Amino acid sequence: MIEYYTFKHRGDEMEYKDEVFLRLTPTLTVAIFDGSRLESAPKSQSLLFSEILSSEEGSKKLDELCEVFDDCLDHDAEYLILRVAGNGIECVRHGDVCAKIVSGGQIHILPNGFFGLSRDDRILCATANFYKPLTDEGILADALVANSCGDWMNMLVRRISDQTQLKCGNLSAVTLKLDM
Amino acid sequence: MYDFSLLSGETRRTLIIALVLFLFAFISFCVVAIYTLVKTNVTSKKHKGKLKLVCDVAYFHERGKRDNQEDSLYISPMDKLYESGLVAACSDGMGGLLNGEVVSKFVTDSLSENFPYKFDAQKENSKIITGISDKIYEQYHLSAGATLVMVHIFDDYMNFYSLGDSNIILIRNNKATLLNHKQNYVTLMIRKLADGGLDTSDAYKDNRAKGLIDFVGNLNCNVLKTNHPIRLIENDIIIVCSDGVTDSMPLNRIVSHIHFDQNATGIARTIKYGVRARKNPRQDNYSAVVIKMRRSIF
Repeated sequence: MIEYYTFKHRGDEMEYKDEVFLRLTPTLTVAIFDGSRLESAPKSQSLLFSEILSSEEGSKKLDELCEVFDDCLDHDAEYLILRVAGNGIECVRHGDVCAKIVSGGQIHILPNGFFGLSRDDRILCATANFYKPLTDEGILADALVANSCGDWMNMLVRRISDQTQLKCGNLSAVTLKLDM
Repeated sequence: MYDFSLLSGETRRTLIIALVLFLFAFISFCVVAIYTLVKTNVTSKKHKGKLKLVCDVAYFHERGKRDNQEDSLYISPMDKLYESGLVAACSDGMGGLLNGEVVSKFVTDSLSENFPYKFDAQKENSKIITGISDKIYEQYHLSAGATLVMVHIFDDYMNFYSLGDSNIILIRNNKATLLNHKQNYVTLMIRKLADGGLDTSDAYKDNRAKGLIDFVGNLNCNVLKTNHPIRLIENDIIIVCSDGVTDSMPLNRIVSHIHFDQNATGIARTIKYGVRARKNPRQDNYSAVVIKMRRSIF
């Protein structure tokens, strides 16, 4: 079973420049694009990012897909791609966008490459701006208390709100639970 | 081979007694050695990978400027630490309602009666808390209530339970994090505002939004609990406290006051005097259990 919840918020910016991409078939692919550090045309870059992922190139192996992104996207573009593979997950990140995994009562950054998953593991994928007001211990506690991915996200948003009242830049995140 | 008949009768008796005594001593030694070996092996297998961390515990329980002490604490017996873990709880009688001190005391007394708790039975344990809440509801029908925060630490792991707006704080690597969420209307307002794409400043403007949506004394209350335990590490500091502490000493102030090498007693004393030093003329009751995780040398 796959459970996920996405959160996209403009914050105090004029426009939403990030992109959250999800595809369930043939295998689950989650991708986040962080446009906040792009000086020119962040919106078009984020659209291009999701267009590539939706196209047949999106089904390529992750290292080949990254080559496509290197050719098409600005070098400052920051993104994260997660793809379910077998009993684990493949991860590629470029920049400060990252995924954190809650496993065995601990939290770790998901490294680039393949990572085996066990039952009850939960994953948070988010932009650096989303992580900024949070502590690892807060993310961990919420993951262990929450009964669903939606619950977990609401708790995280409450924490960010307590710090910034959501008057910060764009916020983009996906909470994910895969029962392997 | 030996002709013992050459020895006198008395010498032979002495030799036989010496031999019997030697055999008795040897058999006793073997029995004790085998028992010790087996016992040590079994114990080390039973606690293999466990007993890595031990809890250093201290508390303070102060009245502040209030007439009554409406906070109540519970710390489970330390001699049961290795069998049942450590349970520490703080209950705070709700302001504006009747019998705050009676209700908070009832909560901690009931927790004490239900000890020991199974560590991996979070649902069962939260049902016990719901049962306590229902009993208070039956007696007071929402005219009295209390908050509750409780931690259960076993070896390197911790579960927590929370109802209302008291605090469970984890200090790790000089960063303090409030682990439990406050169950008040602010939470609901933030959800609505965030879903609408708005900022959430309005949620914090109205003091009435701090009103609790769940507490001990509510019927069928929803206990916030960990579904899986948090892994603790050496030098983690856990503070289970009433809001009288955090209202006068926010989390960042607590961290700046305490020292890395202080023990639980030192940390508790620092926080207590830190709150007192604020000289708040309306200081609420302030109570806390401080737990510092230390590595065991045994």
